[in-house]
Amino acid sequence: MKIEGTQEMHARRERVFQALVDPAVLQRCIPGCERLEQIGEHHYSTTLRAGVGSIKGVFTGNVRLEEVQPPTHFRMVVDGKGQPGFLKGAGTLDLEESDGVTLIKYSGDVQVGGTIAGVGQRMIQGAARMMLAQFFTAIEAEAQTEAHEEPPRHGSFRTALRWFSGWLRRLFRR
Amino acid sequence: GHYVDDVKLADTLTVMFLRSMYAHARITSIDTSEAAHAPGVVAVYTGKDVAEKVGPVPCASAGAIPGLRIPDYRVLATDHVVFVGHPIAAVVATDRYAALDAFDLIMVDYEELPAAVDLEEAAAGGPAIYEDYGDNIAYKLTAGEGDIEAALAGSDKVISQRIVHQRLAPIAMEPRGVLARYFPGEQELTLWSSTQIPHLMRTQVALMIGIPENKLRVITPEVGGGFGSKLNVYAEEAMLGWIAIQLGKPVKWIETRRENMQATIHGRGQVGTLDVGCTNDGTITGLRWNVLADMGAYMQLLTPAIPTLTGLMLSGCYKIPAIQINITGVFTNKVATDAYRGAGRPEATYVVERALDLVAAELGVDTVELRRKNFPKPDEFPFKTATGLFYDSGNYEAALDKALGMANYKALREEQRKGREQGRLIGIGVSTYVEICALGPSQAMPAGGWESATVRIEPTCKVTVMTGASPHGQGQETSFAQIVADQLGVDLNDITVIHGDTAIVQYGIGTFGSRATAVGGTAVYMAVEKLIEKARQIAAHMMGVDAASVAFNEGKFSKVAARAASAVATEVPEPMLPAGQAPAGALPEPEGDGKQVTIQDVALAAHLAREIPPGLEPGLSATHFFEPTNFTFPFGTHIAVVEVNRDTGDIKFLRYIAVDDCGKVINPMLVDGQVHGGIVQALGQALYEEVVYDEQGQLITGTLMDYAVPKAAMIPWMELDRTETPSPVNPMGVKGVGEAGTIGATPAIVNAVVDALAPFGVRHMDMPLKPEKIWQILNQQN
Repeated sequence: MKIEGTQEMHARRERVFQALVDPAVLQRCIPGCERLEQIGEHHYSTTLRAGVGSIKGVFTGNVRLEEVQPPTHFRMVVDGKGQPGFLKGAGTLDLEESDGVTLIKYSGDVQVGGTIAGVGQRMIQGAARMMLAQFFTAIEAEAQTEAHEEPPRHGSFRTALRWFSGWLRRLFRR
Repeated sequence: GHYVDDVKLADTLTVMFLRSMYAHARITSIDTSEAAHAPGVVAVYTGKDVAEKVGPVPCASAGAIPGLRIPDYRVLATDHVVFVGHPIAAVVATDRYAALDAFDLIMVDYEELPAAVDLEEAAAGGPAIYEDYGDNIAYKLTAGEGDIEAALAGSDKVISQRIVHQRLAPIAMEPRGVLARYFPGEQELTLWSSTQIPHLMRTQVALMIGIPENKLRVITPEVGGGFGSKLNVYAEEAMLGWIAIQLGKPVKWIETRRENMQATIHGRGQVGTLDVGCTNDGTITGLRWNVLADMGAYMQLLTPAIPTLTGLMLSGCYKIPAIQINITGVFTNKVATDAYRGAGRPEATYVVERALDLVAAELGVDTVELRRKNFPKPDEFPFKTATGLFYDSGNYEAALDKALGMANYKALREEQRKGREQGRLIGIGVSTYVEICALGPSQAMPAGGWESATVRIEPTCKVTVMTGASPHGQGQETSFAQIVADQLGVDLNDITVIHGDTAIVQYGIGTFGSRATAVGGTAVYMAVEKLIEKARQIAAHMMGVDAASVAFNEGKFSKVAARAASAVATEVPEPMLPAGQAPAGALPEPEGDGKQVTIQDVALAAHLAREIPPGLEPGLSATHFFEPTNFTFPFGTHIAVVEVNRDTGDIKFLRYIAVDDCGKVINPMLVDGQVHGGIVQALGQALYEEVVYDEQGQLITGTLMDYAVPKAAMIPWMELDRTETPSPVNPMGVKGVGEAGTIGATPAIVNAVVDALAPFGVRHMDMPLKPEKIWQILNQQN
C-alpha cells in the first residue's frame, strides 16, 4: 500500500525536524504509542495500540531512522506485529520551508498482513490517513513551542481541536 | 433446525485456533507460558504437543495418482506455516473471549519466507514451498483417448484460448463446527460435527487420534450447507476429539466467518490453455486442455482428485474423437482447494461450452446448430466418450429443443439484431451440458461408492428409515419418505428418516457428487423391496395361502390368481405416481377369495411372531447396500439472455431458462430448489465471486464485505422445465440434480455476455465478468 502526501506546518523547519526525530516527542504524538525506547542511534523499540475498524490490538516493533540529514530529510523504516496482524514499511520525509511555513512531503510503502489485511483492507487507507493527520497535528503543536518551553499537552480532544482549528484556518485562507 | 452450536452440554469449554498471519514462514519459537496462565484459560496446545499424538490430515488420493506428492500436513504447525490461516495453537478456555485474549499472550516468532502465490509463477519455478520437493509440482497426469496431435493437425481450424477458473469460497451459511465429549469410564468419544460424511470422518478421525473406530460416535445434526466444503476431514475435527480426551470435559469450536474464508477449503482454481480442432463444416475433431490446477499448500481429502474429474467430463455432450487433458497440480501458499459444488465438472463444462462458442464464432455459424451437429443421437446410448466413460442415457436434442421453444430462440435473435441497430448490447448464451453424478461405482471411488439403508417397520407400522447418506439441506428426509410411502402404501407422516449418527445408522458413505437420491435413495428402495418380500410370506401365512398367489398393492396383501400374482411379484413397480393413478400394466383386481391383510396387520404379526411361517425370522427390518454399476449422466440446456449497459458495463438479465433432465423426479419442488441454488452459485462465479490473495499471500477477500456472494437483487427470475430420460443404472431411474445448476449455468451466462460484446470483437473473457472489465472493453474500442 502506497502512502503519499504533503503536510503544511506553521512552524520553523528546524523545530519540525527536531520534533520528528525526538523519541520523547514521537511517543507523545504517535496516536496510541505506549512506549518508545531508544535501543541504538536512531533506532527505537515501540509498543503501539492501534486498529482499523473493529480490528484492534497491541503492536510491538521497531522504528529506525536512516539517511538523517537535518533539517531536510530522513527515511523511516518500521516493522511491527501483534495479534491483529503485522505491518512493515519504509518511507521518506522531505521538509521545505518558505515564509515560516514548513512543507513536509512524505512517501512510503507499507505492507500489512494477518487479520488487518483480510478484514481491514478496505479501511486501511482511511485509517492511515486519519492517524497521519492526528500525528502531524500533534507534531505541529510541538514544533510551535521552543525547545526550552513546556511541551504542549495532547490527547484526542486537544488533537481534534487543533486539527479543527487548522482546518478552519485553511478554509478561510482560500 | 438444530445445528452443532445449538447442542449445549454442561461445562463445555471453548477452543479457538491461533492461525498463521503469514502465507509462508518458519516458526522460530512459540511461547505459550504466559497465555497458559491467563484468566479463563484451561490449556494451550501447540504443534509439538500433538506431533506424536495426532496423525496427519488424510488425503484419499494416496496411491491413486502416480507420483503424487502429499505433504505431511499436521493438525497444528510445528515449525513451518504454509498459508494464512494455518493453525498454530489451540487455546482451550472457559469462553471465547478468554481464548481470544490469550492469543495476545502467545509469542510466535516468525521468519518470513518468500511466498508462492500466483499459480503460473509457482509452477514455473517460484519459491519452492517444500524444500525437499525442490519445486511446487504436486503431480502431473495425462488422460484421454484418441490421437490428439493427429486430430488437431488434421483439423481445418484449431482455436486456442487461455481460460481461467478463479478460486471460489464455498461459503456455507453455517460455518464448520465441532463439539466433542469424552466419557473416560466407557472410553467413548462423541463428536458432533457439521459434516457431509459422518462415517468416513469417523473412520479417519479414529485413525488420526488412535482410538478404536467403534469407540467414536459421530453425530451430524442439521447442517447449514456444505457444497463440498464439508466433504472433508479437517484438522479441527481431530484436534477437538483429542482435546476432549485430554481434558475429560466437553469442548466446542465454532468456526468464525474469518476462519471460514481462510481455512475451509476453496474450490476451482484452474488456469489452462484450450486447443479445440474442427472441420469447416463444424465437426469437432479434438479437444485438449493443458491445465495448471491450484492445490493450495497441502492436500485435503480430495484435493488432487478434483482436476481428474475435469478430465473425465471434457467430452461434454458431444462426439469428440480425441480428447486429452494434461494436468499439472501445483502447490501454492494458499488454503487447499477441494470439492466445491460440481467439483471439477463445472471447469470441464465451462471449457467445452466456451470451446463450442469459440468454434461457432470462428466459423460464423449459429452456436445452437453447431451443438446439435455434434450431439450423439438418442439411439447411440450408452455412449462411449474419448475420456473413457459410458454415458448411461441421454436425449440432448429434446432438452435443447424444449429450452429453445421456451426462449423462443428465433425471436430472441431477431430482438438482438434489432437491439444492436439501436445500440443495445443484448447477448444470448446457450450451454448444453452433461454432468457425471450418482458417484459412483466403488471401482472408481476412493472410499467406496455404494450407499446403505436400513428400513424398519415397527409393530405399529410406523416406518423408520436409516440412510447412510447425510443430507444437509437437500430435503431427503422428505424424498426418501416419499419413496417408502409409495412402495409400502403407508402415510408419509408415519415415516421417519434418520441420518447422520454413526451409533444409530449403519455405515454409509455420505452426501456429495449428486449421489444421495440415486445411490442412497435406491438403497432405501431396495431395502423396502426386501421387506415387501418378507411381509408377503407373513401375509400369505396369515391368509393360509401360497405366497406366490399374494399380491401387494397400496398397503394391502391380497390373494390373486397364481398366474397374475407371479407377474406382479416380478414387476418393478413405478414408485413415483401420484396417488390414485394406476401404473402402467396395472395390477389385476383381486380375483381370489377376497382375503386381504394390510401391511399394518403384517407389521404387528411379524413382531408378535405367533402367526409367521415356521423358520422365518421375526421382526420386519431390512438393510441394503446398493452398489451402482455406473455413474448417471444428467444433462440439460441453459439459456441466458443478458443486456450489457453501455455506460457502466453492468449486466442485466433479460431471461434465464433452464431445462434439466435428472431422470425420474421424486419431489419436483426439491429438484427446483436444487436447480435454483445451483444457478445462483454459478452466477456468483460468472459475475461476482473471486478469492483474492495479494502478492505476499495475504487473503484480501477475508470477509463477506469483500467476497461478493450474490444477493437476492442480483438473481434473475428463472424459467425452469424438465425433460425426463430415466437412468437405466438404478431401478427408480433417478440421476441426481445437486450440482446441475452450477455446471450448466456458468458457461451459459459467460457465453451470453461474450455474445453481447461480440460487436466489439470479444471472443472470450475471464470470470468474474465485473462491470469494470466490461467497461474497459467498451471504452477501449470506442
